[in-house]
Amino acid sequence: MTSNSAPKMTASRVNVFYGDKQAIRDVSIDVRQEDVTAFIGPSGCGKSTFLRTLNRMNDTIAGARVEGDIRLDGEDIYARAMDVVQLRARVGMVFQKPNPFPKSIFENVAYGPRIHGLARSKADLAQIVERSLVRAGLWGEVKDRLHDSGTALSGGQQQRLCIARAIAVDPEVILMDEPCSALDPIATARIEELIHELRGRYAIVIVTHNMQQAARVSQRTAFFHLGQLVEYGDTSDIFTNPREERTKDYITGRYG
Amino acid sequence: MNSAPPSPAAPVRTPTDWQSPAMQRRIRHRYAAERRFRWLGLGAVSLSAAFLVFLLATMIGQGANGFLETRIALPIDLRAAKVDVPPARLAGPGGDLALAGAGLEGAVDAAANAAFPQQGGAAVLSDGAWLRVRDAVKRDPSLLSRPATIDVPVATDIDVALKGDGTPESEAIVSALRPRLSKGLNLSFFSGADATDPTRAGIWGALKGSLFTMLVTLALAFPVGVLSALYLEEYAPRNRWTDLIEVSINNLAAVPSIIFGLLGLAVFLNTFHMPRSAALVGGLTLALMTMPVIVIAGRNAIKGVPPSIRDAARGLGASPIQVVFHHVLPLALPGILTGTIIGMARALGETAPLLMIGMRAFIAAPPDKLTDPATALPVQIFLWSDEVAKGFVEKTSAAIIVLLAFLLAMNGIAIYLRNRFETRW
Repeated sequence: MTSNSAPKMTASRVNVFYGDKQAIRDVSIDVRQEDVTAFIGPSGCGKSTFLRTLNRMNDTIAGARVEGDIRLDGEDIYARAMDVVQLRARVGMVFQKPNPFPKSIFENVAYGPRIHGLARSKADLAQIVERSLVRAGLWGEVKDRLHDSGTALSGGQQQRLCIARAIAVDPEVILMDEPCSALDPIATARIEELIHELRGRYAIVIVTHNMQQAARVSQRTAFFHLGQLVEYGDTSDIFTNPREERTKDYITGRYG
Repeated sequence: MNSAPPSPAAPVRTPTDWQSPAMQRRIRHRYAAERRFRWLGLGAVSLSAAFLVFLLATMIGQGANGFLETRIALPIDLRAAKVDVPPARLAGPGGDLALAGAGLEGAVDAAANAAFPQQGGAAVLSDGAWLRVRDAVKRDPSLLSRPATIDVPVATDIDVALKGDGTPESEAIVSALRPRLSKGLNLSFFSGADATDPTRAGIWGALKGSLFTMLVTLALAFPVGVLSALYLEEYAPRNRWTDLIEVSINNLAAVPSIIFGLLGLAVFLNTFHMPRSAALVGGLTLALMTMPVIVIAGRNAIKGVPPSIRDAARGLGASPIQVVFHHVLPLALPGILTGTIIGMARALGETAPLLMIGMRAFIAAPPDKLTDPATALPVQIFLWSDEVAKGFVEKTSAAIIVLLAFLLAMNGIAIYLRNRFETRW
């Protein structure tokens, strides 16, 4: 585990543009290995956009441009020498809507290790799949039907399958983009529990529009508004004693 | 803050009367419109079904006779006719030549002249009758040493008369010979190629030509079409050039087929000096025509793959080519195959471009190679429908049935493949 002094990821003075429109203004943030970091803010504030710069998913959007400096363990991820495919294996992602591949549960989890050559043998691969499903808290529910389609699972199970799929390539950071927004409260509670269990093993960054969720799962919270980082600090401080008026207004429900 | 209380000055609305005559009338109109639409749809479907039934019934009714031939029992004594070939030579590849050299054709004609002199003798038999005797001898060499009766096909006018469409003279011959005549399945129709005598004409040459042509078309149009579609959808930058290419491909799909024939003539025959009338050139020409259809269908199928699947694969660190080949292509394949079915079915039925590159020639032997002169089923149908001899009418219908069967088989395979690759998400 890295110490507090060396953050897992650092972003400094990041600007993101979609064509002429500036989506992110001058954001600097550190992500610590041992914490769950939550990004909160009203719709359209740029929190998802910023999250996607951390594993360069914005590269695939035509006209998107990122300025500034983002480092993973001190390595510039926008440097020419950085291989984007490998970066995305090291910085995994879970999306807003569960998006399992239309393949079997086993194949969903095995896909990542397979393309990166992480398994030495068939048995090894099966072990990786099992370990990932266990960590995602899904093993007990699916161990008898690993070869059924992943899309036949319930929404909450699909989202945990997507988490298992991300874990299977053994990433260092997991980015979660509103992972519970398409789920019911019970499935949401299950995912939140899972985030607690995964904390420490992976640096986790979660975007959420649900402030209670941010308060429940995270240790650090960043509040975004209109593309700017308004306030960033310990979750307990942000929710009990915000420094900025805008943060206070948002947290108390004055806008959002 | 966001919902202001209603102002007290707002006029009081009378409650809606859901039972008023105006309401009732609106409901009746709605139901009537619904019913009208259903009847119209049902009518349209029935009309097209009726046309299909009419087409199939006519074709099968007329074409069924094309698969049959009339045979006559011909008494023949080959020992008396001095046709003598040692049994050892019969079995080998030179057997046909040995029998021809021994005067088998003349012996068959002589036997016919002796058996039914009043009815025209050898003129009663089909030109190919002696070939049937030859095959019988090769199966059973003892026929060379004893008198026997062999069923051989009759001439086309007798055949047509027996099937009910003859001239008075041929009708008279038929009634005189009736006890000797029989009907049977015309196997040589499935093994032979075009001929001037309808009783000898076969469909195999054209079928094989079509098969070769389709193979060339598929081998070229499918990979090129699918790769173009993938590139244009997944890789090509969105700019004016891409738009231009897209418009050109859409227009290409609408170009009349004869233009493609002229293009094939100019490019493949005149510039590259490829062999005339060959299935290879036919296939290349039809591939030019089919490719845009596959590209358009392919692009639509690729567009239909949910972006979330691409995100999921990219988020795991799949490279662009892995995203395309592991996820996008398998999910788009059913749609691509549907487009391929449509394109290939159109190519199979195409006549005009093949005429331009010389596949309308009279070809009496089935092609063995892609570069052999060949014809194709629709061209064969076109050629036979133009023939004067009455026997070709039913051959034309029979050829149409074969073409439809080929089409159904081809589509059947494609639909089977499509269903195998179909996945839910």
